[in-house]
Amino acid sequence: MNFSLRQILALVVVSGISIATACGGGGEPTDDGADGDAPAAAGPVVSPDSAAMITGTVSFEGTAPAAEPIDMSEEPTCAEKHPDGAMRQLVMVAGGGLANVYVYVKSGLGDRSFPTPSAPVTLDQDGCEYMPHVLAIQVGQSLEIKNSDGILHNINTQPTVNRGFNISQPVVMETSREFSQPEVMIPVKCDVHGWMEAFIGVQAHPYAGVSGADGSFSLADLPPGEYEIEAWHELYGTQSQTVTVGVKETAEVSFTFSSDMAGNHVPLGEPLVLR
Amino acid sequence: MSTKGFAIGVALSAFVAAAPAAAQETPVGKAIYDKWCAECHGEDGAGDGSAAAYMLPQPRDFTTGLYQIRTTPSGELPTDDDILRMIDEGMPGSAMPGWKEYLSDTERNDLVQYLKTFSPFFEDEAPSPVEYGGPPGVNEEGLAEGKEFYDKIECWKCHGQAGRGDGPSAPTLEDDWELPIRATDLTEGWNFNGGHTTEAIFARLMTGLNGAPMPSFADLIDAEFMTEEQLWRVAQYVKSLSPETPEVREVVRAALVETLPTSVDDPAWDAIERFYIPLVGQIIVEPRWFAPTVDGVWAQAAHDAQRVALRLTWNDPSESPNPEWEEWRQRVVSVMEPSVEATDELLSDALTVQFPTTIPEGMKRPYFLMGAQDEPVYLLSWNSGGGATEALGRGMNAIEPIGGASTLTTESTFDDGQWRLYLSRDLITESADRLAIETGRPIPMAIFAWDGSNGESGTQGAISTWYFLYLDQPTENITYAFPVVAVLLTAVLGLVIIARAQRATGGGGPEPGSD
Amino acid sequence: MSINRYLRHPFWQAILVLVIAYVLIEYGIPYLPPLIGISSAPVPQSVVLQYMLTVLAGVLIWVSDNEERWARFREPIRATLVDRDKRVLRIALLVIVPLLTGWLTFRAVRQTVAAPPSLRSIHPAPPSSITFRGQTMQLAGLENPLREGDLMAEAYRVGKRVYYQNCLPCHGDALSGDGHYAHGFTPAPLAFTGSSTIAQLTESFVFWRIAKGGPGLPREGTPWNSAMPAWEDILSEDEIWSVIVFLYEQAGVSPRTWEEAEGSGEH
Repeated sequence: MNFSLRQILALVVVSGISIATACGGGGEPTDDGADGDAPAAAGPVVSPDSAAMITGTVSFEGTAPAAEPIDMSEEPTCAEKHPDGAMRQLVMVAGGGLANVYVYVKSGLGDRSFPTPSAPVTLDQDGCEYMPHVLAIQVGQSLEIKNSDGILHNINTQPTVNRGFNISQPVVMETSREFSQPEVMIPVKCDVHGWMEAFIGVQAHPYAGVSGADGSFSLADLPPGEYEIEAWHELYGTQSQTVTVGVKETAEVSFTFSSDMAGNHVPLGEPLVLR
Repeated sequence: MSTKGFAIGVALSAFVAAAPAAAQETPVGKAIYDKWCAECHGEDGAGDGSAAAYMLPQPRDFTTGLYQIRTTPSGELPTDDDILRMIDEGMPGSAMPGWKEYLSDTERNDLVQYLKTFSPFFEDEAPSPVEYGGPPGVNEEGLAEGKEFYDKIECWKCHGQAGRGDGPSAPTLEDDWELPIRATDLTEGWNFNGGHTTEAIFARLMTGLNGAPMPSFADLIDAEFMTEEQLWRVAQYVKSLSPETPEVREVVRAALVETLPTSVDDPAWDAIERFYIPLVGQIIVEPRWFAPTVDGVWAQAAHDAQRVALRLTWNDPSESPNPEWEEWRQRVVSVMEPSVEATDELLSDALTVQFPTTIPEGMKRPYFLMGAQDEPVYLLSWNSGGGATEALGRGMNAIEPIGGASTLTTESTFDDGQWRLYLSRDLITESADRLAIETGRPIPMAIFAWDGSNGESGTQGAISTWYFLYLDQPTENITYAFPVVAVLLTAVLGLVIIARAQRATGGGGPEPGSD
Repeated sequence: MSINRYLRHPFWQAILVLVIAYVLIEYGIPYLPPLIGISSAPVPQSVVLQYMLTVLAGVLIWVSDNEERWARFREPIRATLVDRDKRVLRIALLVIVPLLTGWLTFRAVRQTVAAPPSLRSIHPAPPSSITFRGQTMQLAGLENPLREGDLMAEAYRVGKRVYYQNCLPCHGDALSGDGHYAHGFTPAPLAFTGSSTIAQLTESFVFWRIAKGGPGLPREGTPWNSAMPAWEDILSEDEIWSVIVFLYEQAGVSPRTWEEAEGSGEH
């Protein structure tokens, strides 16, 4: 049924390898929260004269669950990188904004295809934590997996649409991998350190990003049109909105997650039903 | 092959997907599957058959296309040959048997094709095995290098320093279905899924176990952190940790010694023969236990005609009670006993050696499962929280300590995922309840073991049926006399025959000397 | 001396016959039972000895049957005993044979350690009636109530579930008595395939064995050894009858009927 789609995706992959003109993807997480400085792929699909933009913030209502301390006593190398003690906090709120929300164009792009960015996306393991915790990547784009700790980590990706991998990095080293299908989201875990977890969102297009520390995000260089925008959070599930942008327009979209939504957590994949 | 090369290969293969692997539903494969596989693996291959909840590890979920034992890179699908091998050989250490002798070649090949229909991934990917060379010759330096890399690539994080599956990360391991999974005890090669040849171990290191925490180490060769040969050395080292599959013998022999070993790690034990007693889950009386930790105990015994000493050695990754294993225990209990609320109480490890109260004259013995109301058993009952006691058992839930003066002494020690327990007592005691131990007679003996960190206690643990303990008798002098007499008699007889034959041949000839 | 000369000599012929006979008895006979579908076992030593004595007697009769042959047969023996040039061989035999006898004697008298023999009736005679969960059940003439056309399919389905949740660890996926727990128990769990177990039994016998398990065995069945649970504590009557239907269907065998049982004067 998806034979033709696969052909297109494969074309994207191959062209991504041969065409080295594409710029960095719009999905790169940024420290300041906004994705504005990372121009989306300006291939033949979107003319700079018409490129539109969607920006917004993800805000949070209610009380965030308290951070839990992580026992890193088995790993002095990592413990040293957390002089105040390592904490596990899945709900990162600053000034009312919610970080680590994956925001992407779910539909509306039609059958356009997009070049694969040549710049890789980096997933670092530093202080026995994944940096970043949530990241956006495009189909075929190189994922550079980096071990800055120099102790054993294994990178166990558990996708349901893509084929995953589970590789070992016992020293400071880099390994690259890529995904061939769009998927929201691919969990990444380290079995050596049970607390380590990251999520990777894969799209066939560059219009995806992760909300920054202040909850802001932006999806730039969009063709004008009507889009369904979805926001995903690991604890609070997904929500989506439809927005229309015209030529060279910028539309604002806001999402609000609240502590009541804790039950909305979307299970990834199909859990095994027991008894 | 390099990662990039592989990625391009996958991309290109999408173009030439005109001839996808023949993953079609073959009627024969379905009939075989429904008859022999579905009750565990589920009618739709999701690993959720009615028997799934009665085993750990649980049956494979075929819908994800994740197979542990493969020759293909990490994350990739298995080849047809890989799937066939799993059907043929089964998965040691799990409930999956080998089917080679029960199903025909055609049936098993049809089954492979039918299994592939459960996962859409098989529609368009044709995986190919990872290519690598053969193993270097085994030698001392090679094993040392293997051990060096075992440490460097931190195998011990999960598998432990001595390879007994007791590494610091072992208590938190879970598979892709969020089920608790053991770090394999590398000293029990006979339980390895995929076999325990050096080649098989190397293949696991190269390809990882999809769906399980075990990663692939192939990237370390690409990154030039280590060579393929060095990874072979790791495989050879792991292989060296596993002695051959232990032989099970019915009689544990207690050697007669001058000086009895006095402690658990007395070097005298090294000279005393070891006997392996396999244990399995207690699934006879309720509540039953289908996921025991201890799968066998090595028994050694010695006596000096006054006292008998036993040393029991078994692998258990957790020294219980142990808060670090609490998460593991909670998860095992929630999987195996979903209707039972796990207690917060930390449980101890325990081991019981069972004997009849008197050595039986005929065949009759007490019921092997801790005796019965009218026919008690005599127990040496050890617990990591409180030492050892002598007890009488009248059923699994009716165990009472024996009062009065005891001659039992005990010592236990735990290191690197292994318990060693020393038990010693007088052969003959004053008390009628305490078995009078005699030399030269087979004494029925059975063993029970519990791993507290696995949620085991009471009827939920590992058991054996009756074996025998036999205390050697001093060798009587007459035993040496018989052969000497036999030698002399035969020699004399020979001389007589020769002499007669020679006389008969006309005696006049030259006499052949010493004859 | 050519091999042919040896082969024509009655002494060496006799030796050859004895060697061939030993090899056939010790190693050849165990290959026979599998040819007719029975499992094999080594030939007991006492039987080997008996066979070899028979062969020896035959050989002696043959060599002594004819005067000339008898003389030729004795020739090498006499030579060894008498001839001057055989002196080394003679002395060697005089040393080796007594030592061998000594070693065999030592093996026979030294302390041996073996488990006591456990004689056990695998299919002991059943009682005429049992008490199942407080109800008296007459076993004689009792038929499986679920073995009726429209109930069979459901009974097979239920029985399959019961088997996999309870019996599988010991009796195995293929019903051949080799489940993943089978190695832990002595006596080994019963196989249901083949013609020698449940195919020989009526369903009421199987019901009795399942309901009462090891503890319900009569003395000749060594109830203290059996790991078979008394399933009446865990399974209902219908579940037991269902699992019986499953056993026969899955193993591809039929239960013994009461007509057959009465015909042979058993039960």
